[in-house]
Amino acid sequence: MTSSQREPMLPAETTLSEEEVAREAAALDRVWAGRPGFWGWLTAVDHKSIGKRYLVTTFAMFLAGGILAAFMRTQLMRPENTVLGPDRYNQVFTVHGTTMMFLFAVPVMTAMGIYFVPLMVGARNIAFPRANAFGYWTYFVGVVFLYVSLIANTGPDTGWFAYVPLSGPQYSPGHRVDVWAQLVTFTEIAALIAAVNVIVTVFKLRSPGMSLNRLPLFVWAQLVVSFMIVFAMPAVAAGSTLMLGLDRTVNSHWFNPAEGGDALLWQHIFWFFGHPEVYIIFLPALGFITPIVETFARRKVFGYTALVMSNITTAFFAFGLWVHHMFATPIPELGQSLFTAASMVIAIPTGVQIFCWLATLWAGRAELRVPLLFVLGFIFTFVIGGISGVMLASVAFDKQAHDTFFVVAHLHYVLLGGGVMPLFGAFYFWFPKITGRMLDETLGKLHFWLFVIGVNVTFFPMHVLGLEGMPRRVYTYLASTGWGSLNLVATLGAYTIALSVIVFLVNAIRSWWGGEVAGANPWNSSGLEWATTSPPPPYNFVHVPVTTSRHPLWDTTVELPVLSGLRTDRREVLVTTTFDARPDYRHEDPAPSIWPLYLALCMGLTFIGGIFSPYLVVVGLALTLPGLFGLAWQSITNHRGPDHVDAPQALAETA
Amino acid sequence: MKPLRVAGNVAELPSTVFGARSLMWWATLGMMVIEGWTLALLVVSYLYLRQDFASWPPLRTPHPSLVVPTTNLVLMFVSCVPAYMSARSAKQFDTVRVRRWLVVFSIIVVAITVVRWWELWALNTRWDTNAYGSAAWTIVGLHTTLLALDVADTVGLTLLFFIRELPAKMYTDTNDNSFYWYFSVAVWIPIYLIVYVGPRIF
Repeated sequence: MTSSQREPMLPAETTLSEEEVAREAAALDRVWAGRPGFWGWLTAVDHKSIGKRYLVTTFAMFLAGGILAAFMRTQLMRPENTVLGPDRYNQVFTVHGTTMMFLFAVPVMTAMGIYFVPLMVGARNIAFPRANAFGYWTYFVGVVFLYVSLIANTGPDTGWFAYVPLSGPQYSPGHRVDVWAQLVTFTEIAALIAAVNVIVTVFKLRSPGMSLNRLPLFVWAQLVVSFMIVFAMPAVAAGSTLMLGLDRTVNSHWFNPAEGGDALLWQHIFWFFGHPEVYIIFLPALGFITPIVETFARRKVFGYTALVMSNITTAFFAFGLWVHHMFATPIPELGQSLFTAASMVIAIPTGVQIFCWLATLWAGRAELRVPLLFVLGFIFTFVIGGISGVMLASVAFDKQAHDTFFVVAHLHYVLLGGGVMPLFGAFYFWFPKITGRMLDETLGKLHFWLFVIGVNVTFFPMHVLGLEGMPRRVYTYLASTGWGSLNLVATLGAYTIALSVIVFLVNAIRSWWGGEVAGANPWNSSGLEWATTSPPPPYNFVHVPVTTSRHPLWDTTVELPVLSGLRTDRREVLVTTTFDARPDYRHEDPAPSIWPLYLALCMGLTFIGGIFSPYLVVVGLALTLPGLFGLAWQSITNHRGPDHVDAPQALAETA
Repeated sequence: MKPLRVAGNVAELPSTVFGARSLMWWATLGMMVIEGWTLALLVVSYLYLRQDFASWPPLRTPHPSLVVPTTNLVLMFVSCVPAYMSARSAKQFDTVRVRRWLVVFSIIVVAITVVRWWELWALNTRWDTNAYGSAAWTIVGLHTTLLALDVADTVGLTLLFFIRELPAKMYTDTNDNSFYWYFSVAVWIPIYLIVYVGPRIF
């Protein structure tokens, strides 16, 4: 490498003038800019572009799933209603659950990680930008596939966990369940790619000085959840894509008792994924809460180590709970006791976290802005869901409440209280960073109160309905059951939730175009993501920030230390060592590329085609090969040398 | 925004490194964990189904043959030599030797994948015969997709090395390609023991 291609050496401890920063930024703007227009949109590999479209798409899925929920509540608002027939109702509740779990809740949490983890660790991009784009497009193919199928009256209709033998070839002929099985394939691929991306970004692209004990708690939550995805998603891949898919398409017998298959195997393998899935949604939401609480309490969080350990412990226990979904099956009593105990124990780390936040608020000066309101709403709502969860952990109670509306009430309290409320808080908190504009506070408070009231009015009566014996997944009921009044109340609550979401939408659209300009750090928060402009430039940071504490913007009172020396004539990121985050090498980041989209379409053809003919699988895979070659070719032809090889390392390893 | 103070310069750091320092090595490791865990879950499911049968394989289903699978296992062990030599040559940036060993590596990986076809039939059952056949075919079939990926990666890399002069990072990729192949071989050993040898024992 010649010296002219490197940035001129700056003496250490030099304060950069605004002109020097602007000059560097102009050079980086040229190298990191995406391609213009629609082609640029298709080829984007910037983690913020991908994160934004993930957020928008997942929110669209929240709306779609919500509209389906509104249809269900309208059908159930009075006895023997005729808005939806039984067949359509089956499709609607299945697609509602599938959308909310697979297309909204998990991807929206990973989307937050994709957008914010690189910013929070001080990196210029995510570790594998083209894989990240491929993951989004794969997810998008799944979204289109599910909703086209629903509109074409081929929507899956066996519930979001598709129990066999109902979902097997004998009881569900046709392609409805195939749609479900392949949709799961798309979302699991997208989630796994995002998880590996986040793990490697956290381990290898942290800002120098950001040792693991200085990692922001948001990032800790994303890291722990990424590991959970890596070990949970393969279970549903094995179950739905392979076992169920093969049983349905090539007559294998994994779940066919007549040929030695076992229907309970499906429940084991599905819930080994499905229970951690709940925590995959819940833990990132807990990650949102700490920076919100810290910022609005104006105090560093109480119990950093306890919060990290609670995260890890929750993740560990989450893999030991799956059998509590199967208490109504012939599980040995010892096994039932073990899983009951585990289901109760997991409440302890969650309780520790809630007490840490309460202590932080208690010791600080709480400022009741909208993000903090949603955190308080979370604590109130989630505790109710947690208590009904402890009730369901008891085998005797579970057998009474199994498959009733009590379970529907519990899971919505947990997911809306534990997942969606912190998520809305996070939207209000980080919207200014993404768009450069503030959300309106008055509309935000209206949204908050409508949402909290709506959630409780909708789901609290369902506890009672469940205890009275109303089964879940019924399309209607008789007037003589006496369930009409509470169902009407629940439906009015659902309409209140819908109204609150409309208020949020209006707020978001209005603010995006004409909201108050935010500035780099409108909340005076402490994380590295607030050290750059709002919205951040394509390269995130002009110079690589150096981290000297857990709260870099609060603890560095005068100047932010940075490193210089990354090249400005090619996209370069700094890779650091895994544990101590010492600078290690300069990695060339890939340019925008169409191949991720091409490969996702090939993947779509392979898996969707596989429902109809094995030959289409072969065609899809054959078309994949040029895409893989294209990716490699692009890496070679876009490379801007010369290389700076670490010869001593290479030679030492071959000595 | 706060003013910035330069605390150091990273211009002298290398731009190409090997092994656990490299991002691509971590991506490869991620794939290994995901694929290895998926295979492990399938093997556990195979053993779970075993509980439902009085004999294994089920009555009137013959044991798997061992000749072809054992031959392929030996081939896999042998293939680690060109894998190792191509990685070693890549670390030395010795293009001639990288090309030579990649050709040998490609030939043997393709051969192993072709032999896999007979290895599947050496199970002596079909996927639609019974649950035992379904489980055995699914496990071996999933491992075959790993082999297919290895073929695409190794042959593609070999072609690139012959088409043009490559940047240093492709030498890192050559090293990681071998790393992934070691995994494909290592993960096959327990599968071979459980699916092909196991029915004679349990």
